[in-house]
Amino acid sequence: MNDQDYIVFEGYISKTLSEKEMTGFEDRLESDQAFKQAFNTYKELNEFLEQKFENQEDSIEFKDNLNTISKSYFKTEKTLKRELRFTPWKYAIAASIVVLLGVFLFNNFSEPTYSEFSSHDNISLIERGTQGSGVKRAETAFNSKDYSKADMAFKSLLELDSTNTEYQFYRAISNIELDKFDIAEDLLHRLKDGNSVYKHNATWYLALSKLKQKKHDDCIVLLKRIPEEADDYKFAQKLLKKLN
Amino acid sequence: MAEKKVHEDQKYIEGLLQNNSFIIQAIYDKFVPKVVNYIKQNSGDVARAQDIIQETLITIYNQAKEKKLQLTCPFDAYFFLLCKRKWLNELKKTSSKEVTINEAVLSKDDNALELANETELFEDKQHLFNQMFQQLGTACKDLLKATFKIKSMEEVAKSLGVTYAYARKKKSLCIGKLTELVQASPKYNQLYN
Repeated sequence: MNDQDYIVFEGYISKTLSEKEMTGFEDRLESDQAFKQAFNTYKELNEFLEQKFENQEDSIEFKDNLNTISKSYFKTEKTLKRELRFTPWKYAIAASIVVLLGVFLFNNFSEPTYSEFSSHDNISLIERGTQGSGVKRAETAFNSKDYSKADMAFKSLLELDSTNTEYQFYRAISNIELDKFDIAEDLLHRLKDGNSVYKHNATWYLALSKLKQKKHDDCIVLLKRIPEEADDYKFAQKLLKKLN
Repeated sequence: MAEKKVHEDQKYIEGLLQNNSFIIQAIYDKFVPKVVNYIKQNSGDVARAQDIIQETLITIYNQAKEKKLQLTCPFDAYFFLLCKRKWLNELKKTSSKEVTINEAVLSKDDNALELANETELFEDKQHLFNQMFQQLGTACKDLLKATFKIKSMEEVAKSLGVTYAYARKKKSLCIGKLTELVQASPKYNQLYN
């Protein structure tokens, strides 16, 4: 193609050709393939340049807006993923707080339980000359919370020393632990009605025995019987408050 | 050949053209996740996916603006196909491994295939045109920029300090030069076969 060809291309596109020139142009398009191809490319380039420069503002605006939306979308994606990655331990912390709260609330506002009030310190039984290993066996079993063994051990000891209030008391507790309430309460009643050092302790554990069986009314009656000077008075009052 | 019906998803094309943020956001929400997943599953990551998606949307915008793109298939199929191919082409450039595009598996929509081919051709031509434009002399570049920005030829002539007739002649000669550059390029035959 020569310069003149391009000038006539421009003329045709801008519709500044005369009618005769236009007809001549269209005829040549039909017959001259190279001419047609060159013109088509020229036309495409004209459109290309139009879009590139004429609509530049629109194009720039669009690209900017697209960039903003893209950044925002992928930032959210990333944040979501980051949150997902950290969430397990965040959830764990939240969950444990909830659990702690729950336990606290539960302890303060829910039904009191036997286990809450019946912490047994380790016992140290008074040794009597004749008993020896039996005492040790009972003591060890009770302290290691093997109440079944403790019960048997105390039973043996009581066979030889039936009035021993210490053995009776701890055998009773062992039986409460084993849910053998009849045996426990039988022993405790006798202690309660007796005059040993375990008198009030027995009332307290009798109340606890009732508590474990969820016999709250019976428990309350017994708790009220515990006098101020008793070891367990404070606990009894606390439990009373919870039951009322 | 019968006139193909324009798909209702043309609204996404219109939305891009009008720079409608609502529609652009909808495109991201609805169609982007599939693309991101595909690229991640094919040796890519989110960052690359972000770029591919943006480039594709700009191409679609340009084609819609310049060639009045008419969607005859669902936007999903068309958009995904374009992004997928663009990604695979990128992989071919950077990877030494053989990368094959298994078209049959992913797209059964002939219209989508045809449209995607058209868009890719359009994009390749855009690339070539831009490249060749850069190779023009400064005088031509300035003139063409001015000509298309300032619609009035008289004003162009005035701003360049030349006569109207000269400006008009120069415009056609510059585009002519550009045409020659394009036709002489080795890529030309591929694009215009």
